[in-house]
Amino acid sequence: MVAFTIEQIRELMDKVTNVRNMSVIAHVDHGKSTLTDSLVQRAGIISAAKAGEARFTDTRKDEQERGITIKSTAISLYAAMTDDDVKEIKQKTEGNSFLINLIDSPGHVDFSSEVTAALRVTDGALVVVDCVEGVCVQTETVLRQSLGERIKPVVIINKVDRALLELQVTKEDLYQSFARTVESVNVIISTYVDPAIGDCQVYPDKGTVAFGSGLHGWAFTVRQFASRYSKKFGVDRLKMMERLWGDSYFNPKTKKWTNKDKDADGKQLERAFNMFVLDPIFRLFAAIMNFKKDEIPTLLEKLEISLKGDEKELEGKALLKVVMRKFLPAADALLEMIIIHLPSPVTAQAYRAETLYEGPSDDASCTAIRNCDPKADLMLYVSKMVPTSDKGRFYAFGRVFAGTVRSGQKVRIQGPNYQVGKKEDLFLKSIQRTVLMMGRFVEAIDDCPAGNIVGLVGIDQFLLKSGTITTSDASHNMKVMKFSVSPVVQVAVEVKNANDLPKLVEGLKRLSKSDPCVLCTINESGEHIVAGTGELHLEICLQDLENDHAGVPLKISPPIVSYRETVEGESSMVALSKSPNKHNRIYVKAQPIDEEVSLDIEAGVVNPRDDFKARARVLADKHGWDVTDARKIWCFGPDGTGPNVVVDQSKAVQYLNEIKDSVVAAFQWATKEGPIFGETVRSIRVNILDVTLHADAIHRGGGQIIPTMRRVTYASMLLAEPAIQEPVFLVEIQCPENAIGGIYSVLNTKRGQVISEEQRPGTPLFTVKAYLPVNESFGFTADLRKSTGGQAFPQLIFDHWSVLNGDVTDPNSKPGAIVKAKRIRQGMKPEVPGYEEYYDKL
Amino acid sequence: MLYLIGLGLSYESDITVRGLEVVKKCKRVYLEAYTSILMAADQSSLEQFYGREVILADRELVETGSDQILAGAQEDDIAFLVVGDPFGATTHTDLIIRARELGIKVEAIHNASVMNAVGACGLQLYQFGQTVSLVFFTDSWRPDSFYNKVMENRKIGLHTLLLLDIKVKEQSIENMARGRLIYEPPRYMDIATAASQLLEIEELRGEKAYTPDTPCVAISRLGSPSQTFKAASLKELAEFDSGEPLHSLVMLGRQVHDLELEYLYQYVDNKDEFKKLVEADQEYFKPPPYVAPVENDDEDL
Repeated sequence: MVAFTIEQIRELMDKVTNVRNMSVIAHVDHGKSTLTDSLVQRAGIISAAKAGEARFTDTRKDEQERGITIKSTAISLYAAMTDDDVKEIKQKTEGNSFLINLIDSPGHVDFSSEVTAALRVTDGALVVVDCVEGVCVQTETVLRQSLGERIKPVVIINKVDRALLELQVTKEDLYQSFARTVESVNVIISTYVDPAIGDCQVYPDKGTVAFGSGLHGWAFTVRQFASRYSKKFGVDRLKMMERLWGDSYFNPKTKKWTNKDKDADGKQLERAFNMFVLDPIFRLFAAIMNFKKDEIPTLLEKLEISLKGDEKELEGKALLKVVMRKFLPAADALLEMIIIHLPSPVTAQAYRAETLYEGPSDDASCTAIRNCDPKADLMLYVSKMVPTSDKGRFYAFGRVFAGTVRSGQKVRIQGPNYQVGKKEDLFLKSIQRTVLMMGRFVEAIDDCPAGNIVGLVGIDQFLLKSGTITTSDASHNMKVMKFSVSPVVQVAVEVKNANDLPKLVEGLKRLSKSDPCVLCTINESGEHIVAGTGELHLEICLQDLENDHAGVPLKISPPIVSYRETVEGESSMVALSKSPNKHNRIYVKAQPIDEEVSLDIEAGVVNPRDDFKARARVLADKHGWDVTDARKIWCFGPDGTGPNVVVDQSKAVQYLNEIKDSVVAAFQWATKEGPIFGETVRSIRVNILDVTLHADAIHRGGGQIIPTMRRVTYASMLLAEPAIQEPVFLVEIQCPENAIGGIYSVLNTKRGQVISEEQRPGTPLFTVKAYLPVNESFGFTADLRKSTGGQAFPQLIFDHWSVLNGDVTDPNSKPGAIVKAKRIRQGMKPEVPGYEEYYDKL
Repeated sequence: MLYLIGLGLSYESDITVRGLEVVKKCKRVYLEAYTSILMAADQSSLEQFYGREVILADRELVETGSDQILAGAQEDDIAFLVVGDPFGATTHTDLIIRARELGIKVEAIHNASVMNAVGACGLQLYQFGQTVSLVFFTDSWRPDSFYNKVMENRKIGLHTLLLLDIKVKEQSIENMARGRLIYEPPRYMDIATAASQLLEIEELRGEKAYTPDTPCVAISRLGSPSQTFKAASLKELAEFDSGEPLHSLVMLGRQVHDLELEYLYQYVDNKDEFKKLVEADQEYFKPPPYVAPVENDDEDL
C-alpha cells in the first residue's frame, strides 16, 4: 500500500487528466472483490496514520460471512507510470502519477441498483469474467448498463488458474476459450454503437483485455509480453502486440511470422499467443505442480524471477502463487490497462455531458460538465447514501462533474422532481464537510474539484436517495438513474411490541435512504410495506432494518408479489362519466398498447420529456402508431413517466386545453391504483373521444374533472377485458450435467419454463435458462439446492411482465383468487366492481 | 313538490314572502351552501328566522346524493334554498332534470341575484354582455378562455360582469383523487387578485381585449350592509384593498352612456382622470366613422 498524507492525495485530485474513475463489475462469484484486494494491497492509498489496518472492500460483517458483496465501496489507488507507458496514453496527461478511484460493486443481480449508482460516478469499467463460466446473465446486464451510461469497458478474464489446475486444458483450448469469451463480450458491446464514445469493443492485441487470477494475484496483458519480446526481437511493441494474438504463427525454423497455421511442409505451427505467452505459464505450472524441483530454478532464472530466503522452501500451490505473483503481478497489468485505456474525467465528460444532464446541451451547466471545469458553477450528482458510524446519519456519496465543492459552501439541493424555476424538491443549505471516502475510512478535505468522487456531510436529511447539488439557480437536474431491476417482491412488516412503532417508522426512513432500490410504503390499510428486487435483497434489507435501522423485533409477513393491471382488448363500448355537477362529460375508450411500446417507455426510449414531434416519429416508425395519435399524447402515467398514455382523439372541443391539467392529474392517480385491485396499471392507452364542457371555467375546474376522468378511466378499463400481469424472473443456472434432472423437476413444480440448455464449450458445465414467475420463486434457491445436492446455484433477475390468463372477476380462476386475496387484505370489497360503478348513463 | 327558493343576496329576511310561506310548510328544507354564501346570515340565523330546522347541503350531497334530497318529494314538499336566484350563476338544472325524471313537480321562487343586482353600480343591465367567471390560478392551471369572451363583449361595446372564484368546501387534488373527504379552508377571490390575473393574461395574449388602463368597477358585498363600489382603471384595482368577501368586477365596454358615467363619478377618486380613462378606452374597437352614402344625382339617367 501507499501511505500518503491527505495533502498529497488532494494534490493528485487537481490534476484531473491523471484521474481515472472506474467501477469493477461482473457476475456474482467471478472474483471482483478478490481482484480488487490484490490491487489495493499493491496500490491502495491509505492515509499514513491508518496504515496497518487492512481489509478494504466488503466492509460489512454479513458480506464477509456470506462471501458476497452487498454494498459498493470506493477506494483510491495510486500508480506511477514510466515515461514509456505514458507516451501510449491517447489522451491528455500531465506527469507520471495517477490517481484511480475504484468502486467495487456487488455481482448478485439483486443488488444491481448498487452497480447503477457506482456506474454513474465513474467513466470506465473493469469487467471481470470467469474463465470457466464465461459471460453470464449479470455480466451482460452490467455491461449493457455501463454502455448505456457511456462508460468504457476493459475486460479481465479471471480465474485462469482454475482452467489450468482443475480442467487441465491444452494451450490451444485455453486460447479458444479466451477468444470465445472476448467474442461474447464484444457481441454485447456491438449492439451499442454510439458514435459519441467511439468503438468500445475490447481486443487482447490492443491491450484492453487482461488474463489472470485474482486469487493468486497474477495477471497479464498481451502488451506486457509484447514489451518483453519487442526488445528480444527488436520489433516495435505495437506490431508485436498484433502478432501475439489471433491467427498469427511463428515458424521457429525460418524465424518468420506467418498467418497460416501450417508451414511450407504442411507441418502444424504453434500459435504465437500459445508459444510466447501461454507457454512460459504452462511450463511454470507443470514444473511446480508436478514437483519437478530440478526444472524450477532454471525456469525462474530464464524468466528473471528471484525468490527470497524462506520463499525458496515453499512448494506446490504456495510456491506457484509466489512465483506467479512475481512473474506477472496482477496490479501492474491492471493498473496499466486502466490508466492507458480508460478515459480521464476530462475525456469522458466531453461525450457524457449530454447524457448526464437533463437541460439543454448548450447551457452554462452542460458546457461546464463537458469541459470538466473546476472554476464553473458546481454540478454534483449524489448517487447514493452511505451510512456513517453515527446512527441514522448518512454521507451523500457522489461525483463532482463541474465546479469545486467546499466545506461550508451554500448549495442548492435539487431532488429528482425539481424543475427549474420551481421550488418543489429544492433546499438551500450549506455543506457541513466534504470528505474523501476510502473503504470504511473517511478523511476530511477542504474542497474537491470537478472530476473527482466525494462524500458530503450534512445534506442527508434533504435528499431521499439521490439528487443534484448545484450553485447555479439556472441549472437543471442531472439525469435520474434508471435501474435495471425493479422492486417486485414485497413484505409487510409490523412491530412485535406496539410501543416500538415510532422506531419502525424511523427505521424504514433510514432503510429507504441507505439502499438505492428498496421501496418503503404504507398501503391503504396502514401496513408498512418493504419492496425489494428479490428474495436476497429483501432478506438483507429486513435484516438491516431489524438489527440496525429500527433496532426492534419485527414481525414479517410472507412475501407478496406486486402485480400490474392491464387490459387485453378495446373497450366494448364507449365509456362515459359525468362530472359531479353533470355539466361536464368525458367519453373514452381504453385499449392495450404493445409490449414493445411499454418496454420503450419504461426504458426511457419513448420519453415524456422528449419533443412531441420526435417522440411521435419514433412511435410511428418503430411501432406503427398513427402519427396524429402519437402527436396527441397528453400524458404518461403513473408518475408522469409510466407505460400508460392518454391520447386526445376528440375533434374541435372548445376549452379542451383548460381541462388537460385535471385530466393529467386524474390519470396519474387512476394508473397508480387501478380498478381491479389497486395495483399499478400497465400498458393501457385511453383515447379521449369526446368531451362536453360547461361554458364557464368555474364549473369545469379540477373538482369537477379529476373525479370524472378517474371514473371514466376505470370504466373504460373494466369494459376492455381487464387482466393482471405477474412479474417473471429469468433464471440462469450453471451446473454439472448430473444436476440437470433435479433442476427440471424443481422448475416443473413451480410453473417454470425452460428456454435454453447449453453446454459451455470446453467445460463440463451446463447453463440452463428458464422463466419463473416471481410468485413461485420463494424458496426456489433452497429447493434447487436440495434436489441437486447443492450443485446448482440460480441467478434470478426480473425479466418481464406476463399476463396471467383467466377472468379476474371469477374468484375460482388463478388471477381471480389473487385479486380477491389482495382486495380482502387491503380492506376493499372482495368482488371486483363492475364497470357500472364508474359508468354514467347518458 | 320540489321548491327551489332564491334567498337573495345578504339578509335572512331577503327571502320573498311567498318563499317564506313555502319554507314554513315544507317537510324538509335544504340549504345549498357551496356555490355562494349569504353575507349577513348563516344556518342558525336562518333557522331562527324560519322557525324550523334547515339541513345544510354541501357539494357531495347535492351532486352525488340528490336521491336523498328528492326522497319522498312525490308526496311531500321539499324546499331547496339557493343563495341568490335558483337560476342565477348556479348549476342546479341537473337537480330539476332528475326531479322531473322521478315525476316530481318543480316550482321555482325567484329572488335577486348578482346577475341583476349588479345594476346597482349604475351601469345599465341592457348594456351587459356574456358573464364570465375568474378562477383561482394554480401553478399549472391558468385557464384563459374568459379572455375570448371579454374580447367578444368589448368588440360590440358591452360591459362584462366577472364573477370571482369562491372555494367554500374544496378538496385538494390529492384528496380528490384518493376520494378522501378532507377539505381545504374556504377561500374567496378578492379584487386585487382578480385584476392582477386579468393583467397577467392580457400580457400573455397581448391581443388588447383590454389594457391596464381599461376602466372597471369593483363591487364588494353587493346587497349587504357594507356594500361598496369602486371605479378605477384595472391597473389601480390590482392594488385595491377590497376588504371582506364577496366581490365581483365589471369591465366597462365602449358604449358608456352619459348617465352611467355620471353615476360612476361617486365611486371614483378623481373625476377628470376617470373621464379621461373612459374616453381613451373608447378608442378601442371603435367602429369606422360613419360615411354617408354618396348621393347620386344622375340616378334618373
